[in-house]
Amino acid sequence: MSAAAVSRFPVATDAAARALPGITPGTGPSRKARTPLSLVRSAPRKRRAPFVVLCFGLLAVALMAVLVLNISVSTAQYQLVQLRSEQSTLTKQNQDLTQQVQNFDAPQNLAAKATELGMVASTVKGQIDLSTLSVTGKAKPAVKGDAPGAVIAAPAVAGQLRVVPPATVKEPLANRKPAEAAAPAAAASPAAEGAPAAPAAPAAAVVPAPPAVELHGGSVPAPAQKVPGQ
Amino acid sequence: MAEKTGKARKAKAPSATRRLRLGLGVMLTLLLVVGGKLFLVQGLDVGGMAEAALQNRLTPVELPAERGSILDANGTVLASSVIRYNLVVDQRVNTKTETFRRFDEGTEKLVEVSRDQGISELAPLLGMDTATVREALTGGQPYYIVAKDLKPDVEDRISKLQIPGIVTVGTSKRVYPNGSVAGGIVGFLKDGTTGQAGLEQTQDEILKGTPGKRLFEIGADGLRIPVGVDQLTPAVNGKDLKLTLNSDLQYFAQQAIQSQRDKLSAEWGVVIVQDIKTGDIIAMADTNSPDPNDPGKADAQDRGVRAVTAAYEPGSVQKMITAAALIEEGKSFPLDKFTIPSSYTVDGQTFNDAFPHGTEDRTLAGILGWSMNTGTVMAGERLSKEQRYDWLKKFGIGEAPDIGLPAQAQGILTPADQWDGRQQYTVLFGQGVSQSTLQTVRAFQSVANNGVMLQPRLIDSYINPDGTEEKVPAQDPRQIVSPDTARQVRDILESAVTEGQIKEAALDGYRVGAKTGTSQSPCDDGTAGFCGYTASMVGMAPMDDPRFIVEVVLQRPKGDIYGISNGPVFRSVMSQALRTFNVPPSTGEPVRLPQFAK
Repeated sequence: MSAAAVSRFPVATDAAARALPGITPGTGPSRKARTPLSLVRSAPRKRRAPFVVLCFGLLAVALMAVLVLNISVSTAQYQLVQLRSEQSTLTKQNQDLTQQVQNFDAPQNLAAKATELGMVASTVKGQIDLSTLSVTGKAKPAVKGDAPGAVIAAPAVAGQLRVVPPATVKEPLANRKPAEAAAPAAAASPAAEGAPAAPAAPAAAVVPAPPAVELHGGSVPAPAQKVPGQ
Repeated sequence: MAEKTGKARKAKAPSATRRLRLGLGVMLTLLLVVGGKLFLVQGLDVGGMAEAALQNRLTPVELPAERGSILDANGTVLASSVIRYNLVVDQRVNTKTETFRRFDEGTEKLVEVSRDQGISELAPLLGMDTATVREALTGGQPYYIVAKDLKPDVEDRISKLQIPGIVTVGTSKRVYPNGSVAGGIVGFLKDGTTGQAGLEQTQDEILKGTPGKRLFEIGADGLRIPVGVDQLTPAVNGKDLKLTLNSDLQYFAQQAIQSQRDKLSAEWGVVIVQDIKTGDIIAMADTNSPDPNDPGKADAQDRGVRAVTAAYEPGSVQKMITAAALIEEGKSFPLDKFTIPSSYTVDGQTFNDAFPHGTEDRTLAGILGWSMNTGTVMAGERLSKEQRYDWLKKFGIGEAPDIGLPAQAQGILTPADQWDGRQQYTVLFGQGVSQSTLQTVRAFQSVANNGVMLQPRLIDSYINPDGTEEKVPAQDPRQIVSPDTARQVRDILESAVTEGQIKEAALDGYRVGAKTGTSQSPCDDGTAGFCGYTASMVGMAPMDDPRFIVEVVLQRPKGDIYGISNGPVFRSVMSQALRTFNVPPSTGEPVRLPQFAK
């Protein structure tokens, strides 16, 4: 509102004084019926202070709420980061352990371990049919020290323990000795089990060289004929 | 006075109003300027400040998709990806930092550590000697890889050393826990991400998945701004591949054929075990199979899967197809009588047998049981050239089986009109035609499965990242011969074991049908004649309800070709397969068709 408008603004309006009905002064007949004056109790003045306090209180509470919310969100962020790292650590551990199990589980490692413990694969099996109670086949006991044939190389997964003894080891239990000898060395270094990195990856067991063929002085082995049934 | 006052008021009032208006005007102008600027900055963003600030806060992160695993039929992992770390150093930082401070968790204090001490602590973790590590850390390169593929626990210990200039970078590494067991089939990766051989190559797109992306706002303290932009395109991990192989049986077969190859100094050997009822390949063994963890160690020619890549002349195992064709065409039957001279000449082409004999009266069963070329040519003559070609073609010769491996051979089946005078007869006993081992197995499978050929399967299903399994549908089966013909051919094969020359294929408790093949192997360098032999044996068991086919192939064994036998390998692999799958022993009397005609 401009200054000019303020100066022109009426000071009072008609609505300021209420005209009471029937009590129009200066009119004849109603003069007698004058209402006696009585004490009008003034309406109690509203106290403003509690309202203001309430407003400020609400403001303070709202601010506090926002603050608390903010803090909790930030804290949750930190917690989230921490839990994430915990999760990734556990994932890695789990992965590592799974790999170890898989390494021991690999068929060639299992077979090599069995051979190391002196087990021999049986070749001829028999069957017992429980429904007919018939026995078929003649199971033969495995021969101790029987040659197991070719050795399939152990998986060359970097950083895994070697389960299979190297093929060059003649004595079955010889490969246990270096393990014991290596134990103090392992204790000296806190990270021995994790130490062999990619460059130190175990070279897989070598398949034994094929036996030399009888060539009778020649260079190409000649195929020979044979009568079937002989 | 009043006038004066009025005059003064008159003079004063306009100036006050003017001042007021002037002030108001200035205020409004300023407000307009501020408001305009506000509008420019907030509304129009001239100069791209907000954009630049947002770009500064926005951090895109690529979310790598995890490569799918390869599993065998029982869920044994044949290939999977693990987390590994590369150790990278900024040599400039490390070289000039003589001492650094480290927070000791035990004492909760900062301790002063010299560079030498840090290096000597790092060296044993890497499994390298101190001098090598020092050399790697010294210099002026901002990026130098000290060690690769460190395991997470090693990486953790290295991080705790807090050596300046050293960071670890996570990578994904493919590991093959079973090594060379099914190594050729699984294949390997080129650069840690792209398949280069085997299933890793052919199924690369399915295994790889799609990398995702995350775009979020990050504050100066390195923490994500919770209320900011956060766009997440999740990575779609690759699908797992489930094969039909049984890795235990695969190992068994590989070990058996490797022993056989070593014993006989052969060039290579192959064993296939197939489930007749479904066409599933249970084992597909190769000699000198590569270890995908270190494929460079295997010879280049050993890195594939010879069971599907190597086509060779199959030899006498093909006589089964000739017999099946003759019976199906109604031109012969198992006890049909043939009078066979010691040497048979037709169209000027003379055929001999592997063993000398006089003129003999043989049955068709006896011809196969003793694997006589003379008799096969005599009987096969009853088929026209086109019929011989058509039947070979029907049995899948010249048609590559598709099991999802690279370089699958389809073999060579020359059209009948291009056959020369001798080839038209030699195809009857498996010379002058070439095929892979899997093609031979497929032909025998159709006879074993009552004349219905099922295409071999290697990939059983794809497992989605959410765990649902998509079965790879079997290809349409084909009726090759009638069930009655198939039964008669099976009887011939069983008689070859019970009465004929393949007694070494017999298993205790199970009825077995088998056929051997010995073919002359053409020289690799293309010179005339042949270099050595291909010896094979293919058989099925139990004959009362055939379940498995096993084929053993040995390429160019040294020494006396008729003295060698694939029988022991066949027997051990077949009995292992029957035991693994708990196949009950055979019932009923074995078929014994007479080999000589009366």
